[in-house]
This record gives sequence, structure tokens and C-alpha cells, in this order.
Amino acid sequence: MPDDAATLVDSHAAWVWRALQFTPLVAQVEQSLVLEVSHSERLFGGRALLLQRLLCADAPALQGTAQGSSALLALARLWAAAPDAAIGTLPLHTLAAARPHLPTLQRLGCSTWGQLRALPRGGVARRFGAGLVDALDCAYGQRPELYPWLTLPDVFEAKLELSAAVESAAALLFGARRLLAQLLLWLRARQHGVLALELLWDLDARRSNARHTDAHHNGSAQGRMAVRTAQATQDMQHLQRLLGEQLAQVTLPAPVLYLHLRTLQTQRMGGESHSLLPDDVRKGDSLHQTLERMGARLGAEQVQCVQPQARHCPEQMQVWQPWTPQRSATPMQRVASDAMHTLPGDAALLPTWLLQQPQPLTLKQQCPQYHGPLTLLAGPQRVETGWLEGDVALRDYFVAHSAQAGLLWIYRERLAASGQKKTSTAHKLRWFLHGLFA
Amino acid sequence: MPALARTSSVVLQDIHADVWHAHALSDAPLQVQPTGHTELDGQLPGGGWPWGALTEILQPTGVHSEWRLLLPALARCGQQVVLLVGTPHLPFAPALAAQGLQAQRLVCAQASNAVTRLWACEQALRCADVDAVLAWLPQARGDQLRRLQMAASEYNKLLFVMRPAAAQDDASPAVLRLHVQPQAPHQRPSSALPASPARATALPTFPEPVHDGLRLHLLKRRGPPLETPLHLQARTARLCMQLAASRSYALDCATTRA
Repeated sequence: MPDDAATLVDSHAAWVWRALQFTPLVAQVEQSLVLEVSHSERLFGGRALLLQRLLCADAPALQGTAQGSSALLALARLWAAAPDAAIGTLPLHTLAAARPHLPTLQRLGCSTWGQLRALPRGGVARRFGAGLVDALDCAYGQRPELYPWLTLPDVFEAKLELSAAVESAAALLFGARRLLAQLLLWLRARQHGVLALELLWDLDARRSNARHTDAHHNGSAQGRMAVRTAQATQDMQHLQRLLGEQLAQVTLPAPVLYLHLRTLQTQRMGGESHSLLPDDVRKGDSLHQTLERMGARLGAEQVQCVQPQARHCPEQMQVWQPWTPQRSATPMQRVASDAMHTLPGDAALLPTWLLQQPQPLTLKQQCPQYHGPLTLLAGPQRVETGWLEGDVALRDYFVAHSAQAGLLWIYRERLAASGQKKTSTAHKLRWFLHGLFA
Repeated sequence: MPALARTSSVVLQDIHADVWHAHALSDAPLQVQPTGHTELDGQLPGGGWPWGALTEILQPTGVHSEWRLLLPALARCGQQVVLLVGTPHLPFAPALAAQGLQAQRLVCAQASNAVTRLWACEQALRCADVDAVLAWLPQARGDQLRRLQMAASEYNKLLFVMRPAAAQDDASPAVLRLHVQPQAPHQRPSSALPASPARATALPTFPEPVHDGLRLHLLKRRGPPLETPLHLQARTARLCMQLAASRSYALDCATTRA
């Protein structure tokens, strides 16, 4: 457990979540946690080892521990502060069911469990109620015990009161880090990974500008920010970086008093299989982590990947779109999909750079100019397309050579020529630069 | 005298395997990626682009010849992502795919200012699923490049940084520096313009063969300086054939007309 005790927000919840890693049967009885470990202690290598892992040095602070064959016995030993006391010698005040009747029992001369048990059952049940007898039977292991076993909430939600009002958004990260440490415990216990989470902060409502409206604030004295990741993760470093990048873009209108962290979407996550061979381990982050971090800082639409399209018009042959995790397939899938996507036959004759917008070229004596006159080397390659979409492109593409810039891909528009056939001498041929053979 | 020369060379070779003679290319064990251009491979230490090192490519402003130089190596360097940072134009994926660089491997990151570009570069180098990083960094300083060089060597990536030729005289931490420019034609063909007014509306004629090579100056390498520039054709066979065919067709037309 690498968690630091100081980073945990709510030590009680932290203990519940920590205990749930070792057994699914955890109950809260009278401000103590009761763990039923008889089923799982073999998995952890015996009770001694399990206890050692449960109570290792970095666990949250604890009052004390005790064990017993039943939960009541364990609790009694805990309250009596005598971990190894025999059952009969335990004082009666350690039994919760006996506490209301303690003065009467004292006057009877009954001060230990053994003495109470020696009294006739029928009389005790009539005098003090059946509850006391039943509790004693449970403690001695003669009746089954029933507890409301604790389960983890389906949605993680934790609140943190900041020790001082925080003025800058970047400083919220320190508080968020403590909440993330708690989230990690919750995720581990549920064996889930987080896909999306939400960080909320309460602004100091006494400030006049707390009712501010922008991308993160909706005027209700509370700000919110959602963080999404492509693959379910338990990697808090990655989430922390994403939060940090996004918080850097937030401006707080008023000081912040409280932080909340809530999961929006989680997913069941299997264990990770490690390679036996040291060579297979590549150093560095995964692609989706890197690109998400880039997207968080540069803007999601600035990190792009390309989708080839089966079109004739050069600018529609590819679509650069924001990167999404579905598009980053594994190398094997990539090879397969690439084999399926057939390239146009003359793709090798296309330029490697395409201009965002075709650049109009000036003409001198009917010769297109780009840093000096251009020499046409090959062409025309006629493109007639777009008539179905209403955006007709009638172009003749040429490969041209420029003394300074090398080979260029230019085209001549034919739209005007087809419109006014008779006066073709008068119309101007418009030339455009569209690509570079880099 | 010949005997003396022979003994001196023997002595030189016997010093130690780790001693690098300044007149020879460094033969220190180096992981390289063959460039795909035989003439260039012969002049680079190890015989290719170095992995885990910064390679700097200097070009005149407005001229971009990087793809024809790098594509053969990028096509063969692996199956992982090639990350482009701050591209000057749109990379045309069908053309790149036709030359072996699959479109699925391309990821492009655009950043408005120089600092975020450098940051994106460094993040890309730290990613396990990236093979090569191509960055266009016109404003990068030496210390910033040094940071990239360290990241590239730590994570063993191919890193190419494109900078303007004006940065040629600045100190650079790059292991390999090249100055690349399109080959200047020896003499400009005079028939580039339409020859006669009668054919003014016709297309400009197809001229004499154009020198469309690349001229490479190796500014810095682990080896002796290279006096004469290298000349590379670095065009796909398909494009060369097309150009040759167009030219012979134009010549045929010209002769029949004459």
C-alpha cells in the first residue's frame, strides 16, 4: 500500500475501503470495524501475514486491534484492552447488550462474562430480556452472528474542506491530490478503473463575485470541471497531470473553501499482465496518456489524426480530425486495416504536402509565377468532381518546377472556360498552387 | 618511405579500439535507421539516421524537402506512431501512404507558440508508443534543443527537428546537422516561356530536363567535415517515370510539329 496516511481525507472511510481489499465481509459495530477473515486468510498466507499487510506502517491511524473467534469477543477484548484475555474473565461492561443492566448485575455480584453465563438462562432471559442471553450465545459461538456488511458505494464521492481559502486554481491541485489518493483506494477495492471524473469546488459565497459565469462556473457559487480519459485507469499520476493541465486554464472568481471529487464513469478493470522478458518493456507513457495530456494543454482539436477517404477531389481525400482513442488501434489491427484500405493507383504521384487553401498564382505572359516563373513538367491530370454535392471542381493538375521551391502541384480552374466557350480568349485562366512535392 | 607509412598506419590502428581517429567516421556502436539513400548512408556514422539522438535539418525559408529525405526511413522504422509537431502545411496522407508511411501512424499536434511546441515535442519523446518525432521549430534555442536531445537519447527515439537555414551558424547540440536545399539548375532552360505569340494561349512548353535533386551539406557529423555537398535524387520511381514520360511526349510533339 503506497498510500500516505496524511493524504487520506476521511480516515474512517479509508479504513473501510482498505479492509474491503482483504475480505468482502466488513461491518461497522459500535465505532469499530469488524472483519470476517476466516475465508480469505489463506489467500494472504495466514492470519499473521494478513494482519501484517492490513496494519502495515503506512495505514491510517488506529486506536487498537484485537482478534477473537467471534466479532463480539474481538470487540470485548478490544474494549478491555486485553488482547489475550480468556472469555470468562472479560468484564461485563465490554458486552454492549449488558451495558443497560450493569448496575443491577453489579449488585447481583456479577462482573464478568463467566459469572453471567453461570446464572440460570431462564431467569436471566426473564429478568434482562432475551437479547442479553442471545448476545452471550453469539459471543461463545453457539448462535450465528448477523451483521450489516458494508459495501462500497457505486459512485465515488468525497469532500474535502480546505485548511485555508485557496485563491489560485493551480493550488487546488494539492487538495485534489488528497482526494485522488482516496479514489485510488476505492478503485482498488472495487477493481475498477476510472474513465471520467468531476472535480467541483465551492466558492466563498460571501464574496460578491462568487456568482460568476464562465466555462467552469455557472453562477451558483460552485465551479465544476470534468476530466475524461480514454482507457479505464488506476494511474493517479496521469489523472493528476490531466487535472493540473485543466486547472491551469481556470480562473477562480472567489476563494475556494471546499473541494469535491466524484466519479462520472468507471469500468471494470482486469489485472495487467507483465512480460517475463525484460526487452518487451518499453520505457515511457502510453500513447493515449500522452495525447490526452497534449489535448488538455493544446486543446483537443489541435491533436489530430488522419482518416483517408475514397474521394477524387484532393482536399477530400483525407480528413484530419481530433484524435480519439478508438482510432489508435494496436499495430496488428493497424496493419490489417491498412491492407483493407486500398490506395488510389496514382497515389505515388500525389504531393506530400497539401496547402490548407489553394493559393492563387499570378500570371505573367500566361505563365504562372511562384517565386519566379514555373515550368510545367507533367500534366494535365483532369479532375472533375463534386457535381453531386453542388460544389463543382473542374481542374487540370500539373506538376510544375520552381527554381527555388522544387516541384509544385498546381492546377488551372476550368469552370470559367466551360461557362463561356465563345469568349474564351477574353477570360482569365486562374492558376492555383495546391501542393508541394517535398 | 612506403615502409614508414605502413608502420605508422599500423601503429595508429593498434592504439585502442575506442580511440576515434578524426579523419575517419566514428564507428562507435550506434543504433541507426538506414536512410534509404545509399549515397547518404555512406557518409553518415553507422550508416543511417541515429536513434536516440537529435538530427537537425536546416532548410531555406518556405522550402520544405523533408519528406523526400525522411520518408524511406520513416516507412521502415517500425509500426508505431510518427508524431508531427507544428507542421507548416497539411501532410497529404494518401501520398505518404503510397510511399510506405501508413496514415494510421500519423498524429499531428499543432501549437500556436514556440514554448508549447517544445513541450509537445518532449511529451511525444516520452511516449512508449511513438517511433519518431518530426518537429518544425523555427524559434528553438540551443538550450531548448539540448533538452529534446536528452529526452530523445533517454527514450531512444528518432527525432528530426526542422529549422530555418538562418540558424546554421548557431551552436547546436544535434548529433547530426544537415543543410538541405533543392538543387539549383545549372542553367535555366530558355524555353520555359511560351516561344511564339501564336502559341500564347497554349500551355507553356515542356522544357529540357530539370534538375530536381537535393543538395545536402553535412554541417556536423561524428567524423571529418564533408567538403563537397551530396546530391540526392530522392524521388519515387513512379514520379520520375511520369516526368520522363511527359517530357518525351512533349519532345515528340515538338519534333512532329517542326
